Amino acid sequence: MLKMHSIKKVFRTDLVETHALNDFNLEVKEGEFVAVTGPSGSGKTTFLNIAGLLETFNQGQYILDNTDVSNLNDNQRSRIRNEKIGFIFQSFNLIPDLNLFDNVDVPLRYRGFNAADRKQRIEQSLERVGLQNRMQHLPSQLSGGQQQRVAIARALAGEPRFLLADEPTGNLDTKMAQSVLELLQEINQQGTTIVMVTHDGSLAAQAKRNVYVRDGKVSELHDVSDNISNVANVVNA
Amino acid sequence: MFSYYLRLALLSIKRNPILSGLMITAIALGIGASMTTITINYLMSANPIPEKSQQLFYVQVDSWNPYEAFDEPNEPPNQITWTESQNFMRDATAFRQTAIASSNAVIEPQDQDSKPFMSSIRLAYSDFFSMFNVPFLYGNGWQAAEDNDRALVVVLSRKTNDTLFGGENSVGRTVRIAAKDFKVIGVLDNWEPIPKFYDLTTDEFGSPEDIFMPFTLKEALELNNGGNTNCWKSPEGEGFKSFLLSECVNYQMWVELRSEQEKQDYLNYLHNYVAEQKTMGRFAREQNNRLSDVMQWLKINEVVADDAQIMLWLSLMFLLVCLLNTIGLLLAKFSGKTAEISLRRAVGASKSDLFYQHLVETACIGIAGGIAGLGLALIGLQGIKALYGEFADKVTSLDMNLVIIAIILALVSSIGAGLYPTWRICKIEPASQLKDQ
Amino acid sequence: MLNLTHWEIGPIFRALMRNKTGAILIAIQIAVTMTIIVNAIFIISERQKLMARDSGVDEANSFYLSSSSFGEDFNTEVTAAEDLAMIRQTPGVIDAMQINAIPMSGGGWSMSLQTKAGDDIDGTGAAVYMVDEHFLKTLDVDVIAGEPFTLTDIRLRKGSSTDWPDKTIITKSMAETLYPDEPWHSVVGKTVYINNNEPMIITGIIDQLQAPWIGWDGVERVMLSPERLEFTSYRYFIRTEVGKRDELMPQIEEMLANSNKKRLIRDVRSMQETRERSYRQHSAMITILGTVMIVLTVVTGLGIVGLASFSVNRRKKQIGTRRALGASQQAILRYFMLENFIISSAGVVLGAVLTVGLNIWLVKAFELNTLDWYLVPAGMVSLWIVGQLAVFGPAKRAAAIPPALATRTV
Repeated sequence: MLKMHSIKKVFRTDLVETHALNDFNLEVKEGEFVAVTGPSGSGKTTFLNIAGLLETFNQGQYILDNTDVSNLNDNQRSRIRNEKIGFIFQSFNLIPDLNLFDNVDVPLRYRGFNAADRKQRIEQSLERVGLQNRMQHLPSQLSGGQQQRVAIARALAGEPRFLLADEPTGNLDTKMAQSVLELLQEINQQGTTIVMVTHDGSLAAQAKRNVYVRDGKVSELHDVSDNISNVANVVNA
Repeated sequence: MFSYYLRLALLSIKRNPILSGLMITAIALGIGASMTTITINYLMSANPIPEKSQQLFYVQVDSWNPYEAFDEPNEPPNQITWTESQNFMRDATAFRQTAIASSNAVIEPQDQDSKPFMSSIRLAYSDFFSMFNVPFLYGNGWQAAEDNDRALVVVLSRKTNDTLFGGENSVGRTVRIAAKDFKVIGVLDNWEPIPKFYDLTTDEFGSPEDIFMPFTLKEALELNNGGNTNCWKSPEGEGFKSFLLSECVNYQMWVELRSEQEKQDYLNYLHNYVAEQKTMGRFAREQNNRLSDVMQWLKINEVVADDAQIMLWLSLMFLLVCLLNTIGLLLAKFSGKTAEISLRRAVGASKSDLFYQHLVETACIGIAGGIAGLGLALIGLQGIKALYGEFADKVTSLDMNLVIIAIILALVSSIGAGLYPTWRICKIEPASQLKDQ
Repeated sequence: MLNLTHWEIGPIFRALMRNKTGAILIAIQIAVTMTIIVNAIFIISERQKLMARDSGVDEANSFYLSSSSFGEDFNTEVTAAEDLAMIRQTPGVIDAMQINAIPMSGGGWSMSLQTKAGDDIDGTGAAVYMVDEHFLKTLDVDVIAGEPFTLTDIRLRKGSSTDWPDKTIITKSMAETLYPDEPWHSVVGKTVYINNNEPMIITGIIDQLQAPWIGWDGVERVMLSPERLEFTSYRYFIRTEVGKRDELMPQIEEMLANSNKKRLIRDVRSMQETRERSYRQHSAMITILGTVMIVLTVVTGLGIVGLASFSVNRRKKQIGTRRALGASQQAILRYFMLENFIISSAGVVLGAVLTVGLNIWLVKAFELNTLDWYLVPAGMVSLWIVGQLAVFGPAKRAAAIPPALATRTV
């Protein structure tokens, strides 16, 4: 699903040159739920940005869903983000001036679905996160957990193969965090590959697989899940 | 506290130089444009003789064509005939009165090197000078006796005295006008009523005439007609005399009446006069006598040019656009300060403190815009002067009143513009912006 | 590909409704700006139309001057004959004559002509020019029906004369006003009445000549009266060959001044200067309104730039998120352009109403004409364009916001 090979990312300012990622290698298979952890400054966020095609990198190769996305132009990258990746952000990133319906609608518009199709997808995905009755509400009228559910609905509406989550529970209290995580697990079980970046060890522990990033490299890898092939079987079933 | 707010305001203005610059420019342009047109309109509609404008009345009687009004719907002629001028002056029932007219004649300087030149003449009765508070530099006006005697006496304007006598006291000296020797009996000081209210038939914003002489000399010297001459029927017979006796109007009549009673008496006099004339076969139209005080007379004559008024309204709309602009920019600027404001609220600033602080900031912008606007108004007025030439000379100077109006306008409008953004920003709750959004 | 899905009109509109203040401010600004600009353009075009009118004389090559006699025993008749002989002989002069008033100058005579005699008959006002048999070449007019005056037609008019010659030549416009139901050329030979009862025969029609008053609605109504002038003050109108005017003006002034010391030569003025002086208020109005329009457009444009920049800054995170969710740079650009278009549309619709309203008021208060209808849509389109141009810069900057901003904690 996702394959990064020898990725190098350097930030340059007039004074310093920071190696955010250096010889970064990672492979995520279809249907995995991977938690990426690491201390701050380790390169987690840079990894997330590159994985989500939000940023380019200096060297290396990145293959997403059997496509080499290393050298695409801005428009092609936008297209891939739109079609293949669903994003979940720490601070939800809902658009405050739009109601839930319109918020979920945003990526679908860029996808070019027709109005009836969009409406159906929006309703379905909001239903999936349990907010079908709040479609006309504004984000500010919801609790944090509900807002993050909207964000998840937005990420799912386009039926992406790959969900990228950035500290999805960072702004939530424990109870809400747990319910959001359960939602993500449920989504994963239905076949969507999830990569979640977090600094929260206990959260990471609930993912099937953990990746530890340090100094711009994947330094440790340990499986918490029983068996990847089992998951694949579930999907196939 | 005020100086603290002032310092904060200046800091805030400096921190956003482009936004602040845009706001000051917008206010300056709006104030500049409106002050330019306000100045012109203010000067055009100025009271030229405020101390007694309500006691001086312009006289109109309807001696016009029985079949057609002088002007629609039923306006009496704007001037009177020679016959009326003579009769009104003979009866002299007002406290003071003068018939006046304009003319022109050639002056031949005694100095052989100077060329003869054409000079404009104001023909008037002796009351003219006291009625209109005309200032004298040397000597005085003439007396009623000289009106009756058709004496060859003349009052010079200051400029004419400068030309003819190099500004010396010329009282008693002789000037050759229209091939006659006149005795100088007075020289005026600077006198520039704006508008030139006593005769609005031509050049309302022109200067008073070069020389002043008794009205009765019109007949004696056969002086030509200045201004506008309107006739509804041709003079009967040839010659100057028959023109004077015709129904042509070319003269203006002013009376000074000190009370409502005197005004009523004069209206009664006019009524009786017209009635008497009717018995002699004149005044075929209905009684339609008018007494207009100075400001009424200016209004009737629409002294303020249409173009000036149109420009005034357009420039006020321009100011409105500039203020809307400023409101928008202030909103933008203040909303960039939400974090600072919630911090201030958190450390104990009350809403009214914040309101005051931001009002000071808006006022600073307003004053800067107002001062820049005054500069622009000066440039604008110079521009108008350049475009209109001599016609606009008298109505394009800023006086102290206008400067004060400009500053007040700038302050009021900028604070007005600042109210809504300030009110909005003061609604921010303390510490609401302190945590990560 | 025209796919309306990409045009986020609905969401943009709904988002605008939640953040009305800025949008309303811009919309009103656009509306008032349009109101001023369209009315200003209309006034300018009206003034330009006025200024484009032809006075009828050869303006580029004509000038005039006044001669005023003073002192006793001055023989105007003899002096004028001598003066004209001298002027007409001067090389470079095409022709010259005495005249009582000058087209466009602002001062002149008018008389009323009526088609029937009688004190109670309404007449038609006409400007009177007293001319001699040289008028054709001097004033550069053509007699298009009837005959021009001949030497024997010209009489002498004294300052105190009150009667009129028995012949007149009128402009085509005057002929059409006097006899609205007849073709203009058939008016030759008819008798009209001046001073209610005094007959004059129309012996000719000239193509066109303006009255001295440019603001008069009868400015094309002119009558010529065949008379030499024995006034103490009168004018000579002189037409020169192309390019000779400026050199002849001082030359003829000096020649006349030296020929007789008992008169004053003054007000030597070209027709071009006369036009400039008379139309000065109009050309000034055109310049002022033009300046106002430009400055106003710039102010409004800058206002839009300012508010749009602010709104882009405020929505940086949102833009980053949209980019992350798959919006291309063009989609972001389109979003802001479209948003501005929606605001401008509200502005220009309100502007159209205000424009017509202001015009109605100007018509009532200042007797202006009614606005040409097409100026309203033209103004709307212009303001749309101004808005789009102004928002382009900020929109471009919005489009350049990197998608990675979405993951940054601001």
